[in-house]
Amino acid sequence: MFDANAVTLRGEDPEEVETETGHRSEITQVPEGADWNAVEEVMLRRRSIRKYKHAQVPAHVIRRMLEVGRYAPSQGNCQPWKFVVVRDAATIQGMEDFCVETCRKLSRGLDYVNYPKGSFRHFLTRTKAKLFNRLSPNLLHPVPVAAMTAIAQGQFAVFHRAPTVILLLMDTRGIGTPEIDIGICGTNIVLAAQSLGLGTCWIGFSKFLNKSREWCVRLGVEKPYEISEAITVGYPVGHPQHLIARDTHEIAWLEGGKKEILY
Amino acid sequence: MALLSKTERRHFPDWDDPTECVFHRVAVDEAACDGCKLCVIVCPANVLELYGAKGSKKARVKERYRGCASCNNCQAICENGAIAALRPYDFVGFYRQLGRGEFSMPRKF
Repeated sequence: MFDANAVTLRGEDPEEVETETGHRSEITQVPEGADWNAVEEVMLRRRSIRKYKHAQVPAHVIRRMLEVGRYAPSQGNCQPWKFVVVRDAATIQGMEDFCVETCRKLSRGLDYVNYPKGSFRHFLTRTKAKLFNRLSPNLLHPVPVAAMTAIAQGQFAVFHRAPTVILLLMDTRGIGTPEIDIGICGTNIVLAAQSLGLGTCWIGFSKFLNKSREWCVRLGVEKPYEISEAITVGYPVGHPQHLIARDTHEIAWLEGGKKEILY
Repeated sequence: MALLSKTERRHFPDWDDPTECVFHRVAVDEAACDGCKLCVIVCPANVLELYGAKGSKKARVKERYRGCASCNNCQAICENGAIAALRPYDFVGFYRQLGRGEFSMPRKF
């Protein structure tokens, strides 16, 4: 049984305080098998949108999304974020060109799939790639490498020709793991966007811009801030809102002195 | 205690070996597909194409493709429920998928 006394701090049982002061709150009852509520629907139907209509998103709608982002939880309430909103097509194209060029260089130097098996270039790049793979296994996962080469070959875009790009800048002095706080803040933003009929996509390749002094100056990225992620925003093409199938994941359930594995 | 063996931890799969990098093939229900092309457009990995005569085009997976991430954006945009990925991608060695169950639609509890 749950023992309230076991979690009592400062000698007070919080639930007793609640009762004594006459401010007792109701416990929300959720019936088994109930329909998804509005918030759950938004979460389940959000997809990463990479094809946008040309129409620009009104400025007040973007402000509204950032306002929700501002209320994200963060470690020690340190709020290690700052935003750069880019809405000029020429500037977004410039950012795109820079990131595409970076992908080209990386793909040429690391992705041995570009070269015929058995060739010297294949051997050379593969040897290099295997080493880098060991040094930074998160970056050289086969999926982003495939995306990088697709971008290099012009089959895939970095910012997906979106009308608005929000750069999430991270204060690198943030408490604990500020990357996580940026992720939570951005999740607020993309879910708000979904609820407002907008499509969004997280753009990790935007981090390449940190390497360009010119772009850091143009975008106002200065130490101790750095670009952590970007979010593209726009109206999606079609209705990409149908529910989809996804992996289920292991859940270890510890209750009643037993451990059960669920999916 | 570790889920990956020492050998697995040291083995990084070859990106150009389909037995080491298993990108899933999405399944298309040809009877339901109306050839609207939206799945081809939204696929982030450029895996899909249309084929067939004008007026009766259908979507299919390209002969050679790389990088289907089972994101199911194709399923999300298909108005006819004609296309879906039913398995995640998987790799050998260091990137072997762990702790996954069956693919499932959202389940109500």
